[in-house]
Amino acid sequence: MKILLRNPRRELEISGSCTVATLLQRLDLNPESVLVIVGDELVTRDARLDDTADVEIRPVISGGARP
Amino acid sequence: MKCRVCRGPAVIDIRRHNAGFCRDHFLVHCQEQVRRAIHDHRMVEPSDRIVVAVSGGKDSLALWDLLVGLEYEVDGLYLGLGIGGYSDESVRFVRDYAGARGLKLHEVDLQDDLGFTVPVAAEVTRRAPCGACGLSKRHVFNSFARDHGYDVVATGHNLDDEAAVLLGNVLRWETGYLGRQHPVLPAAPGFARKVKPLVRLGEREMAAYCVLQGIDYQVEECPMAEGNRHLGYKDVLNALEDRSPGSKASFLFGFLERAQPQFATVAVEERDDLGACSECGSPTTGDVCAFCRLRARASGISIDEAR
Repeated sequence: MKILLRNPRRELEISGSCTVATLLQRLDLNPESVLVIVGDELVTRDARLDDTADVEIRPVISGGARP
Repeated sequence: MKCRVCRGPAVIDIRRHNAGFCRDHFLVHCQEQVRRAIHDHRMVEPSDRIVVAVSGGKDSLALWDLLVGLEYEVDGLYLGLGIGGYSDESVRFVRDYAGARGLKLHEVDLQDDLGFTVPVAAEVTRRAPCGACGLSKRHVFNSFARDHGYDVVATGHNLDDEAAVLLGNVLRWETGYLGRQHPVLPAAPGFARKVKPLVRLGEREMAAYCVLQGIDYQVEECPMAEGNRHLGYKDVLNALEDRSPGSKASFLFGFLERAQPQFATVAVEERDDLGACSECGSPTTGDVCAFCRLRARASGISIDEAR
């Protein structure tokens, strides 16, 4: 499957099928700090991702100055 | 995973609620959390004019959308910070959002209207850019509201932001800041009321809200925020949350319920000591407020010329 990561933007290829939870674990990402989007759809951590999925892992943490 | 309400397929799981939601019921959940925050903290009166501070990020655009959905009359205010392509892109998200929905958007530009940018201010003062940025936002949003007849400034601070700020304040025992840390800062001479209606919603929920509502927002992190202290606090809190869901909410809401009132008198005393800035009239502890001093240094002109 093709994985798009952000901040900085980069792409990865991972072979095989797995759940969202497993994928995040393999990438050492905290599920609290990202959304996982397949195509245009949000998916939950128990969703199974197939080998051909286009997956975006979008960080949700923003920092910097707050008013 | 199934939606807690309708048992249809869930699109998001929220572990601190031990629940999943489908799209429609997630949007209802967000609206209910905002409605409850506004009600519980008496944030807004029916006759209030509200301005929401929008940056082009997920939180402020989601907040604007949620307030409009709850039928509040609310205009947007964008502050251009002069951070190169990042600011150019951010303002496009805000204009596109407001334009597509026919909402009123005000814009203030630090360079055009006040003579400096955040990168220049950071360079001149040799301090972290987030400090100059936050100071500028606080000053401009408050003075704009005051000068244009808005009663309330609404900001997109969410549960994660507030928990991270709380952690920072506790680590340094900033008693004045702890006394002021509340979802509502009441109006006072020179200050509009400030409210944080997203305080019951997490950062992940706000990003999901934008995705599900089709709101395009600035996903990239501000290039000047690298090394920001609050990002580190958020990492720590998310590590705790992953091991023990609900930790962030108990930390913040436990503080607001049981500890914040202990510090509130410190904040009131500090506020009572404020005078008016001799340059702009904003409340300050000295003769000239911190924003006017920053502006004079960053724009390379004297205080008198900055008038």
